[in-house]
Amino acid sequence: MAKRVIIVDDSRAVIATAELALEGMINSNTIEFKSYLNPMELLEALQNGSENFDLLISDVNMPELNGLDLARAIKADERYKNKPIIILTTESSNEMKMSGKEIGVTGWMVKPFSDEKLVKSLQMVLGV
Amino acid sequence: MEKLRLLIADDNEDNRLVLRATCRKLECFEIKDAVDGLEAVEIAESWQPHIILMDIMMPKMDGYEASKIIKEKYPDTVIIAVTGVLDSRVEDKMSLIGVDIYIHKPIDRELIRFKLQSIASSFRLKLGGFKDRTKATVLNPFNSDIPSYKTIFDIVDAEAMMEFGMWLFDRYNGKIMAVSGKFDKVIELFYKLMSQRDKDGEMMTIIVEESYDEFYITMKFEKAITLEQKILDMLNEFGTEVIAQENIFCARLSKPIEKEVVAQDLSQQVQTKKASVENIKIQHTNEIEKEVEVIESKESIKEVRVIESNEKELLHQSFVHKTSAADYVEEIGDILDEILELSSIEEEWRERLNLIETDPSEDNLIDFVDSVLNVYVRVINSLFEFTALAYALTSLGVFIKDNAKIISEDSSKIKTMIMLFEHLGEDLTSWREHIFVLQDTADIHYLDSSFFSSCMQIEGIIGNKEVSADDEDCMEFF
Repeated sequence: MAKRVIIVDDSRAVIATAELALEGMINSNTIEFKSYLNPMELLEALQNGSENFDLLISDVNMPELNGLDLARAIKADERYKNKPIIILTTESSNEMKMSGKEIGVTGWMVKPFSDEKLVKSLQMVLGV
Repeated sequence: MEKLRLLIADDNEDNRLVLRATCRKLECFEIKDAVDGLEAVEIAESWQPHIILMDIMMPKMDGYEASKIIKEKYPDTVIIAVTGVLDSRVEDKMSLIGVDIYIHKPIDRELIRFKLQSIASSFRLKLGGFKDRTKATVLNPFNSDIPSYKTIFDIVDAEAMMEFGMWLFDRYNGKIMAVSGKFDKVIELFYKLMSQRDKDGEMMTIIVEESYDEFYITMKFEKAITLEQKILDMLNEFGTEVIAQENIFCARLSKPIEKEVVAQDLSQQVQTKKASVENIKIQHTNEIEKEVEVIESKESIKEVRVIESNEKELLHQSFVHKTSAADYVEEIGDILDEILELSSIEEEWRERLNLIETDPSEDNLIDFVDSVLNVYVRVINSLFEFTALAYALTSLGVFIKDNAKIISEDSSKIKTMIMLFEHLGEDLTSWREHIFVLQDTADIHYLDSSFFSSCMQIEGIIGNKEVSADDEDCMEFF
């Protein structure tokens, strides 16, 4: 069954480039791709059970809700506690990595990412 | 009240605009522009400016030659060299002709205002007729005429001493992970001085005043203190930067400047990256080694679009200061109208993309860059806070123009380009609305990094190039 991958980023262009990078995986039905521009919308959908994911890729700097806070809120929910989350960031400061680790995110990736790296990390995390 | 005359000499129109916009806030200046060194000399002769912001690399006559001629004729003119490169040889040469103040590009407008304001106040004192407004409130004699704010510590016990130590460490060290040798001495000195209080268990007060690049630390003991020889020896090492008198101790301490922080960060990253290459020994060792070389030699190679160190620095600036949209908009003044008018460009953005879709000619691609993208960039450029964004869009525009022929001949590239530019346009619209219309973002730089990486990735996708972030090993899984 296709794995559901969600990306949340306030930039449409970032989402579009990620979708292009994952085109192969989407076309081969390896993954299902869904994107959110607004982290609050995603959080609500997850909380009311209308959304689910096998992997979440989240930007950090978003006006409505910071990516790390989003991850924290999701990880606090029993249903999603063990689901992998990858943080997308430009500044990979140690502080950020530490707090990501503390929250329990699976890893982080630096923007801009190459197609190959995105695909590889998805394969690694999802085991596909 | 006579205004001070300020000359801005720079061959780049955008730079002149940014500098002018920055200096416009300082009401004490009358400003003129020069487009090259020769014109700077002519204006210096006819107008005799008090201060000159001098770009170094200019056509006809460079900033060095112009400064030399002007300084010979008018030694009192203060020349501030505006330069993009940190080159000690150039700085030595400039120093010999009496140019010792620098502003480094990319331009930090707060720093420029700060430097200009302090120079202006020294002119005011020399010229007379100006009130010296800060003298009365300044506590520490090193802090002669700079507006500042104070932080006060009441040192009543060992815990309070620790608190002060931690505060100073944080403020001084900032982002630097390793403690510098100099700072170690400073902490030790303060520790010893604070311990003096302990002898009688009395209270002491520490007052820290700050300017942009220095701390002024004043310690006030309840009674006159007699310093131990050990402390006196330490004080001697600091030379004229400290004064100890009766119950007062004053010190001046330079802050490490941002540039050094960035440079150090970068070199640390190179080190870390090298280390990680050695440890992990992954298959693509050669590629990563290549990237390390790229960072070190600051040369870009064609097939890989690497974030260069200057780009990294630009982007880093966006993260240093957090400014809310409401505060920012209040500050920008008339430029706001131009920003609001960009909505018409956004419409044209979509129209031009539609045109490319129906007729994907080379000319239409070039027209899109010239009459839409670059118009947008020009306005963003005048905003000075968004250097990283302006840079990213500009380089994307250059890329499209350079490759217009190849793109126009490849229908799948055209399709991808139109799709990505549509998204980019929508991102820009939402950026503009959130910051300038709704003014509802807590940090105006919230989209900077996304824009930056989008632009690079668009370049990568359309140009079939590998995109690479020069940031340690780009990803890590815990």
